Amino acid sequence: MSDVVVIGAGLAGLVAALRLARAGKSVTLTTKGPGGLHLSQGTVDILGYTPERVSAPLDAVASVPAGHPYASIGAEAVGSAVSWLAEEFGPELLTGDPARNFQFPTAVGALRPTALAQPSMVAGDAVGGKSYAVVGVRQLKDFPADLIAGNLARSKAPDGGALSAHSAWIDLPARKGEADPTPLTYARAMDDQSFAATFAKAVGAVAGKADVVALPAVLGSKRRDVWRQVADQLGRDICEIPLPPPSVPGIRLYDALLAMVRAAGVRFIQGSRIVSFTPGGDGVASVTLAAAGGPRHLKAASFVFAPGGFESGALDVDSFGTITEPVFGLPLTATDAGPLIPSDYWGPHALFEVGVRTDDAGRPIDAAGAVVHTNLFVAGGIIAGCERWREKSGDGIAVATAVRAADHITGGAR
Amino acid sequence: MKRLDTDVVVIGGGSTGLGVVRDAAMRGYRAVLVERVDLGQGTTGRFHGLLHSGGRYVVSDPGSATECAEENAILRRIQASAVEDTGGFFVTLAGDDPAYADKFLAGAKATGVPASEISVKEALRREPRLDPHIQRAIEVADGSVDGWQLVWGAARSAEAHGAKVLTYHRVTKIERDGDRVAAVICRDEKGGEDVRINCTFVLNCAGPWAGQISEMAGAHPVEVVPGRGIMIAMNHRLVNTVINRCVYPTDGDILVPVHTVSIIGTTDIHETDPDHLPIPHNEVQQMLDAGEAMIPGFRKARALHAWSGSRPLIKDKRVSVEDTRHMSRGMAVIDHSTRDGLMGMLTIGGGKLTTYRLMAEHIVDAMNDQLGENRPCTTADEVIPGSEDRKLYTVTHRLEDREEDRLDDQIICECELMNRSMFVRLLEEQPNATLDDLRRQLRLGMGPCQGGFCAARAAGLACSEKAIDAERASGLLRLFLKHRWIGIWPILYGQQVRQTALDHWIFAGTLDVEHLPQPEEEIVR
Repeated sequence: MSDVVVIGAGLAGLVAALRLARAGKSVTLTTKGPGGLHLSQGTVDILGYTPERVSAPLDAVASVPAGHPYASIGAEAVGSAVSWLAEEFGPELLTGDPARNFQFPTAVGALRPTALAQPSMVAGDAVGGKSYAVVGVRQLKDFPADLIAGNLARSKAPDGGALSAHSAWIDLPARKGEADPTPLTYARAMDDQSFAATFAKAVGAVAGKADVVALPAVLGSKRRDVWRQVADQLGRDICEIPLPPPSVPGIRLYDALLAMVRAAGVRFIQGSRIVSFTPGGDGVASVTLAAAGGPRHLKAASFVFAPGGFESGALDVDSFGTITEPVFGLPLTATDAGPLIPSDYWGPHALFEVGVRTDDAGRPIDAAGAVVHTNLFVAGGIIAGCERWREKSGDGIAVATAVRAADHITGGAR
Repeated sequence: MKRLDTDVVVIGGGSTGLGVVRDAAMRGYRAVLVERVDLGQGTTGRFHGLLHSGGRYVVSDPGSATECAEENAILRRIQASAVEDTGGFFVTLAGDDPAYADKFLAGAKATGVPASEISVKEALRREPRLDPHIQRAIEVADGSVDGWQLVWGAARSAEAHGAKVLTYHRVTKIERDGDRVAAVICRDEKGGEDVRINCTFVLNCAGPWAGQISEMAGAHPVEVVPGRGIMIAMNHRLVNTVINRCVYPTDGDILVPVHTVSIIGTTDIHETDPDHLPIPHNEVQQMLDAGEAMIPGFRKARALHAWSGSRPLIKDKRVSVEDTRHMSRGMAVIDHSTRDGLMGMLTIGGGKLTTYRLMAEHIVDAMNDQLGENRPCTTADEVIPGSEDRKLYTVTHRLEDREEDRLDDQIICECELMNRSMFVRLLEEQPNATLDDLRRQLRLGMGPCQGGFCAARAAGLACSEKAIDAERASGLLRLFLKHRWIGIWPILYGQQVRQTALDHWIFAGTLDVEHLPQPEEEIVR
């Protein structure tokens, strides 16, 4: 038996487990898969759009509407939770100021706000007058350099100044005879210093003049200073642009967090799903793991449920349109998906705001406001109140709600 | 205004129009086909993919049954690359009247539709997902057919015989010289100019839009009653054989394995406007119930996409009952000279995709008669380009191809195994195409992720191949996402919710497509 069982190994679950372990709790972290960080852009968003573009995210957090996950937390707590995590990662992995957003080019050439970023991305911040050389790799199909450069060149920086950009390509297989490698293949190849040097040389030969050389985010998997090596060799700033999954920057964060969690003594179970629970007293006594050999019951004094949202299957819609949370059967903000799915692709998709409502401690509550289980806390994507991908707030919500849950379990210990 | 001179203008780029332009060109007529959008974007692209064995009509419509059986065999011969030989079963479900199967067998014998009863055990052995409580099973020669491969194949055949096929040419006016048709005026929607096509004959193959076309020629509008039906593509091949319910034809009684999916259909609701076909919630539920009746657990399977198509049913009181020479079951050729005193124009309606070649033969025969020509139809004998090897399509074709080239080429759409060369080749041929136009021919974005991974790649690739600039590429990406959504939101449940959330994380979360710089004008084609 552990003090706490944490369910889910996305950003929320990992952060909750780390925070609890740092506070001296014995923690079991159980997860079906490797969590959502592999799908992320590898930065920490706090709030990017309200829907207007946000430059000062904590100010924007302070004025979210009631019902938003941030509303019951407050800007100060969000800022301190994110800053704590940045310190845990250290400046080699995460840098920036939670009070200010970067505006980074995306892999189609839009400008995307985010708060904390990996140092390899920082030079991409769009300020008026900046010029980009976007260099693609022929073998890497998810970094369309011409599209990115074309869109940047017709964009204005958020400060109103013009941007300029051009594209170029290199032809450099990561592994001989492989026409269709993933970004991971490149990232692993870059861990080899000599391949990174060959890459930088090829980029230097085609990049042309520009303030920043924009490259696909594949600059190293284990080795953290590949970007610096490339920048030094090129003699100018570079920026990594995150790609669609599998996300190398996301995996870097995952690997680092998991290593910290393990080093802090957390017991880690991966590969099976939590399928149900056993009540005890006015709370949860144990959760049931559908392990290969048969069900196993994980007992604890407290539970942190951080399973993600619709994307992970933590929230389910059946063919009749009924929305459920299958493990605990938690009360949701809506149960009929039908009216929440609009015919307009670009409009708000209210279905994805559905989730669990919580009290100020992060415990699920029912429609009458009563706490469902006194020792069950939720964190991350399962919490109701916003479309995270649209407003760019998923990471901040995950971190802030995970820290809230952990701190309530440890009695406010910091 | 650009000018063209031709003998025949064929209006409508669905299967009927393409069959007709091919037939006319093969008989030596100079022919031009005009289509207001892309080929196969109307009814032809919005059906369930069934190549009829004729079985469906052996009791209700024996004439159609015989035609289907004959045309089925012809299409397998001339257009093999568009046809998969899935075979079909007519099954009597637990609650259905088992006596209908006897009527069915008798009807099949009378109409020449190959059919033979097999044991329930054998049917279940071959299709293990079928409800084990079925009472009877009859095997027929159903297949599945790709409507887009079919029309593009016919287009290439027609072009090889000298015809012109003009997509995105919307008819704006039909000019007359007295009581004769003289010219068709079109708007070239992509080129942005008007085109005048002088002609001696117009063949109206506009399907559900045929009424609008006949009106433009100053004829009494042909009465078209669009019969709307919805279809749902389920992920994977839940069955590998077409499953029909052995009952008098009704709603939701067929499941067709096509490419990587299985399609359930369909409903039949009269609509007034073929441009606005809804996918109502109650009909989706009706289809899921129908699926569940044939395949227990159907509701737990993953629905990928839904669409709504319109049958071109013509109910025309003006057609004289004597005028049956060029009519056959389920299809009708309307002669505007006797009906409206307008020379040089015929309209065709009804029919089905399986009999598209025969429909063309009928209307071009009718044109021959009016022109006093005697040029025989040869369309049943000549193999269509792309099918020269006479190899019927199989679902593993692309896998076989990728096994060949996987070390040399990138896969752009993993779900449908579409590689970079396929995309670039078609883009070179059709540089003005939208991603949807390319999708119809390549199946880009039609698999489980519905474009989640390949849509941005395709836009990027189009931009890199210098076919289009970043503004157009971004506009096409936005358009593609918007169009895909039309068929996703009505069936958004189960695993597809999970997929949609992931796709939203990619497009909004990672790529922020919502905040791409806005085009000066929203790109719509």
